[in-house]
Amino acid sequence: MQLLINGRQHEVEHGDEPLVWVLRDELGLTGTHYGCGIGMCGCCTVLLAGRPARSCQITAAEVGDRPVVTLEGLAERDAAGEVVALHPVQEAFLETPLQCGWCLPGHVLCAVALLARDPAPDEAAIAEAAQPNLCRCGGYNTIKLAVARAAELARKA
Amino acid sequence: MSGMDAAPPVPTGRSRRWRVARRRLLIGAGATVGSLVVGVPVALEYGRPSLVRWMLERGTGPTEIPESSLVWFELTRDGITLHVPKIEMGQGIHTALAQVAAEELRVPPERLTVVQADTARGFPASTLFTFGSTSVASLYTPIREAAAAVRAMLELAAAGQLGVDRRQLTAADGGFQIAGSDRRLAYTEVIAAHQGPWQEPGEQPELRPAGEFTSIGRSVPRVDFRAKLLGEATYGYDARLPGMAYGAFAVPPRFGAELESAEPGDAAGMPGVQQVVIDVEAGFAGVVADTRTRAWAAARALKVTWSEGTRVDTAALDRQVTAGDGVVLRREGSIRAALSRGRIVEADYRTPMAAHAHLEPLAALARVESGPAGKVELWVPTQSPESVLEDVHAALGEERDVVVHVTQLGGSFGRKGGQHLAVEAARLSAATGRPVHVGWTRDTDLRQAFYRPPTHTTMRGSIGSDGMIRGVEQHSAAGDIIWAVAGLPEPVRSLLGFDPGGLLGLFLPYDLPAYRLVNRREQLPVPTGPWRGLGLMPNTFALESFFDELAEAAGTDPLTYRLAHLRRGGEQEDRLRTVLRTAAQMAGWHESLPDGRGRGIACSGDVGTVVAVVAEVDLTGGRLRVTGIDAAVDCGLVVNPAGAKLQAQGSIVMGLSSALRESLQIRDGQVVSDNFDSYPILGMADTPPVRVTFTGGGDVPYGMGEPVVGPVPAAVANAIRAAGGPRLRSLPLRL
Repeated sequence: MQLLINGRQHEVEHGDEPLVWVLRDELGLTGTHYGCGIGMCGCCTVLLAGRPARSCQITAAEVGDRPVVTLEGLAERDAAGEVVALHPVQEAFLETPLQCGWCLPGHVLCAVALLARDPAPDEAAIAEAAQPNLCRCGGYNTIKLAVARAAELARKA
Repeated sequence: MSGMDAAPPVPTGRSRRWRVARRRLLIGAGATVGSLVVGVPVALEYGRPSLVRWMLERGTGPTEIPESSLVWFELTRDGITLHVPKIEMGQGIHTALAQVAAEELRVPPERLTVVQADTARGFPASTLFTFGSTSVASLYTPIREAAAAVRAMLELAAAGQLGVDRRQLTAADGGFQIAGSDRRLAYTEVIAAHQGPWQEPGEQPELRPAGEFTSIGRSVPRVDFRAKLLGEATYGYDARLPGMAYGAFAVPPRFGAELESAEPGDAAGMPGVQQVVIDVEAGFAGVVADTRTRAWAAARALKVTWSEGTRVDTAALDRQVTAGDGVVLRREGSIRAALSRGRIVEADYRTPMAAHAHLEPLAALARVESGPAGKVELWVPTQSPESVLEDVHAALGEERDVVVHVTQLGGSFGRKGGQHLAVEAARLSAATGRPVHVGWTRDTDLRQAFYRPPTHTTMRGSIGSDGMIRGVEQHSAAGDIIWAVAGLPEPVRSLLGFDPGGLLGLFLPYDLPAYRLVNRREQLPVPTGPWRGLGLMPNTFALESFFDELAEAAGTDPLTYRLAHLRRGGEQEDRLRTVLRTAAQMAGWHESLPDGRGRGIACSGDVGTVVAVVAEVDLTGGRLRVTGIDAAVDCGLVVNPAGAKLQAQGSIVMGLSSALRESLQIRDGQVVSDNFDSYPILGMADTPPVRVTFTGGGDVPYGMGEPVVGPVPAAVANAIRAAGGPRLRSLPLRL
């Protein structure tokens, strides 16, 4: 079967496996992390047709023809795959970083989805979008700042 | 930028020949033309300096590890690389240490390449156990001295190349300005043009005074974060090699249960299973499969039997950890006389077991070459690469050449300092002849761990007619922390009567006419061990809650009461006074709050750092909400304010999570809170604004990884009482 990931078609062998393992182990896209396997921590978040989804909770076959975006697919790259420009959310988290970074797929991709539907979110909207994602390093205050900053950068872009 | 490429290079020979130039400096011998390698050995006390001192005074305990661990610089025509022996797990130390090096090199820190040292390049022990908030404090001076020596060697070479006196050269921005000339010579040019041996600086070059720092003290961007944001960082779970398979193994159903028999059972015929590996003598039964979930499923299908192990539960463990008889660790004044009069206040406090709950579960990758002496190469997210070396040698043979590469760590908080999956991955790789990656599920990770031990503290104090404390008697009990994972034989531990980790935060910092402290340590039938700050947070919860109970009985404001009981003129006490006053001021301590809301304060000290925290809570509607946290921290010199603030805020959120949520439950000898549904940790919705002020300074950095976690639960409990709520004496705090 085929999956459309970060704008490219990929041949996938294990359609019955959870998407998180197909991404990580079959396709080598280890930017999507495993954290709990029950959809509670957010480390395995991807964008599925533009909306945040827990890749530990669906099989690759269930994705069907919906486009998948992972952390690796956010930056703008040239033909050789070199990063030309970071996504504004990545830019903001680079300015206002977290610590270990294992939770980044959830926090970054939920922010990307939020800004796509609400370019000027207030603090409550930012908190609501980030709420499903844990951060054991305790960076919740910083995440709010980073997402607000990302909105600012995206509006300027 | 630690981590590794998709296909990591096979390391070149493990030993570099070094020439000892001076007492401390090592210069790479046989280095090729156009490069320079300079290293400095670092002697570190085995434990926390204060603990070690404490133990030495009592004539016991480990003292030093040999001067074997190295910080080294590699300079080529492409730039400067700093090899750091301490491990990055989110603390930001690779960034901070690059800033320290850059200061003396006179290079913008962003221009240094930071590499995680491994056990292959340079020295077998060129990595260091990363624990106890000691990384920046312990490497601060060695790195500065080594960097200054590198700069001096470059200066001597540049002077020779230019035919000028070295005093005409000024190092700045990664190169030399030449006096009376527009000409600039970059370090990389000096390296590229260099021929022959390097001339050594005659004496230790002067270090820059703190007042002139341009790199230290700045919030420079983290060296590890761009790769993390691009999804390109390599954590332990991400380690990959061509031809890699996935391993899993049977884990005991109860603590203490040992493997009695194992057969492949249904596992051998399951889809994707390549091999079943059984070694009952070694207590091992595992499988290798073509996907991770197939390996997990097959491991569950192995036909294994286990010995009984323990059937203990949380209530029984709590009963075992009961304060009472023990070893007297502090005896000042006459406690009997002090408690015979005055107003007596008594209370007892409990803290439960807790998990680290790092978000990246344990994982390891191994490649073992065939034959009994085949080389072993490992990629492991560990705080302690040397213990990985030891364990793998012990399991697979002492004669093997073992190399440990440390990956990024997706959080750790003490957990990845102990048991890891390297041995199991290596066994499976050795048996199958291919690289094998082993990664745990969340539930296995939470069930097969070691945990913060439970504590119980009883306090009895007396208040005199002047309102001041006459004396305090404290009985503390806790499960082992350090002794549970390392150290002395049990008879010696029994004799000592304390666990070094349990000492953190154990002593009241106040000046009391009489103080008696009786401590009891318990070896529990479940694995316990280091958790961020070790005993600091559980002990501080008891002591600083009780101090508020005394203040309440004395009818005095808790801040005023603390200030009044801190000894005048003591250095530590003066610093505590400053952080207490600062946190109070930040929080508007003296401003009144509406009914149902209140503020609480607490303080503690650890690894040279002192912290005060004010929590504000809202109990209206019968629901507990923490609405704000203000913290003042004196950790001495702050190398990277943004990084230190993240450490402080993160410690506070972790402390809040313990205060409000966490309690690891054990039933029938096993952990039953084994995922985030049954072991909830604090999320965004319950995290208040956390404000942090640094009050220190000077030119000595202290620890930042753990101290700030200390006062958090006590501050919240004190705030609940101040808001008109009950006095809560056990964690998690529930109305």
